[in-house]
Amino acid sequence: MTTSLKLDFAQADLHGELEHLTDAEVDELDFGVIGFDADTIVRRYGAYESRMAGLSRDRVIGAPLFTAVAPCLNNFLVAQRFDDAVAIKGTLDDVIDYVLTLRMRPVKVKLRLMAHPDHSLRYVLVNRAS
Amino acid sequence: MQIDAVDVAAEYEALLQFLYIAPVGLAQISADGDILMMNPISSQLLMPLSRDGALTNLFTALENVAPDLRVQAAGFRASRGVICDGLYIEVSPFNPVGRDPQTLSLTLIKLDAERLMAVLNDVSAQIRRERLLRQNEAWLNAIIVGVTDYALISLDRVGRIESWNESIGRVTGFDNGSVGQPYSIFYPKDCITADRVTDRLREADDSGWSLDDGWRQRADGSRFWGSALISPLRLQHIESGPAYCLIIRDITDRREATEKILRASACDHLTGIANRRTFFEAADLEIVRWRRAPRPLSLLMFDADHFKGINDRYGHATGDAVLRHLATTLATTFRECDVVARIGGEEFAVLLPSTNVQRALAVATRLINVVASETLVIEGHRLQYTLSGGLATMDKDVTDLEALMKRADQALYAAKGSGRNRIQVFG
Repeated sequence: MTTSLKLDFAQADLHGELEHLTDAEVDELDFGVIGFDADTIVRRYGAYESRMAGLSRDRVIGAPLFTAVAPCLNNFLVAQRFDDAVAIKGTLDDVIDYVLTLRMRPVKVKLRLMAHPDHSLRYVLVNRAS
Repeated sequence: MQIDAVDVAAEYEALLQFLYIAPVGLAQISADGDILMMNPISSQLLMPLSRDGALTNLFTALENVAPDLRVQAAGFRASRGVICDGLYIEVSPFNPVGRDPQTLSLTLIKLDAERLMAVLNDVSAQIRRERLLRQNEAWLNAIIVGVTDYALISLDRVGRIESWNESIGRVTGFDNGSVGQPYSIFYPKDCITADRVTDRLREADDSGWSLDDGWRQRADGSRFWGSALISPLRLQHIESGPAYCLIIRDITDRREATEKILRASACDHLTGIANRRTFFEAADLEIVRWRRAPRPLSLLMFDADHFKGINDRYGHATGDAVLRHLATTLATTFRECDVVARIGGEEFAVLLPSTNVQRALAVATRLINVVASETLVIEGHRLQYTLSGGLATMDKDVTDLEALMKRADQALYAAKGSGRNRIQVFG
């Protein structure tokens, strides 16, 4: 049943779909999921991301994303985009190329940045560029 | 004693997280700059600079802002040691609202023949504090350190020498015929403009003093390295009489020491001319002056045509020699009060205070003609190259240095597009 529900990194209205998934269902996804609240505190951390980064969920949940979990995203390419979207109560849904440092190795990835005034959680989704 | 695998895994994870959140950028790179390992702050600082969106090579990622890094690393002969320690890299002109750094500090350590360690740090806030401190220090220096002899000169409200005394004769050789002349007579012709004479008076009004070190000239035309301090007197409400005090000291002895320190942080390693940091600092100040008293201010950006072709065909050493040749030609073509800087790989900028479009265009055109007519002989290769240039001039629609540079860059792009070996004026 989970396979039929499985979401795709690039699909439309992914933000709305993610909101309905349980944490266990998020763990099934084959891309990284980081969900954080209005104060940038991480509230969701998928198993895929946890494996890639080498960090367990316990270390990450409750920590501020841009300073304590993924400081590499704290610049105008990522963090600023969320600030800008929130400032105008607008929607953000964009895919950008990025380099993450997973377990200290630079890895090319695609990031999908999502914020929506109707959803309490914002998301950074991580897909390893093929 | 048994080592518990679970403990080791937990320790590994803690260590990883420690590196993830360490507030400095750490990277291990190969001798050629290929990134082997790096932490998230490195990516945070470097991603906005990366041209191709990749971070495979540190030297490539920093190419636009520290073009001389590769040469500096390759030129380091010892088997291990510090290649550069806290080198300032100017990323962007001063921007009070941006969240991204204006200045990075880079330390590069050679671990062995194959590996280098890089430490990157955002030092923008620190730099601003340092600038203030440096000014205070310069002021104290001007008063106490190494005073052997000095000329004490009173100036009137527009900077003309108000009266003559012994000390002026002793230090500069000028006699009382100098009374009524602007204080620029103590500067070599190319080192100061009439606008700059006024700028320094206004800066003295604003902050209580204005200090600059550089070449000074005696009555017989000989030069000395001098320090000039201008301070307003409290008599300015009186129509005539002294309004400012100018103290000129001969500090030729100290020049070598200060020059050496200055060169290390202010000059491009490969070409010896000013680097981005110096350029941004000087240009920011010039724009502040423009706001206070608008006057002509022009910016030229140059790019060596088909430079990649020269590198590919003759090798990097020849390419570097071409860049050095270009830097020397630029430095000798422009005045000493112009700021000539290397701001990118093969990109150079010249800021011309008190210079309008026509004059800037005339000098730039002369320059590209000189460059195009010369044949260089480098390591047995005879080669010629040409230059393209973009020219922009300051006006009230230009908000800041970045906007002025954008205009010059657009003009440069147009010059390239319309056949190269030419100067294009913005607009």
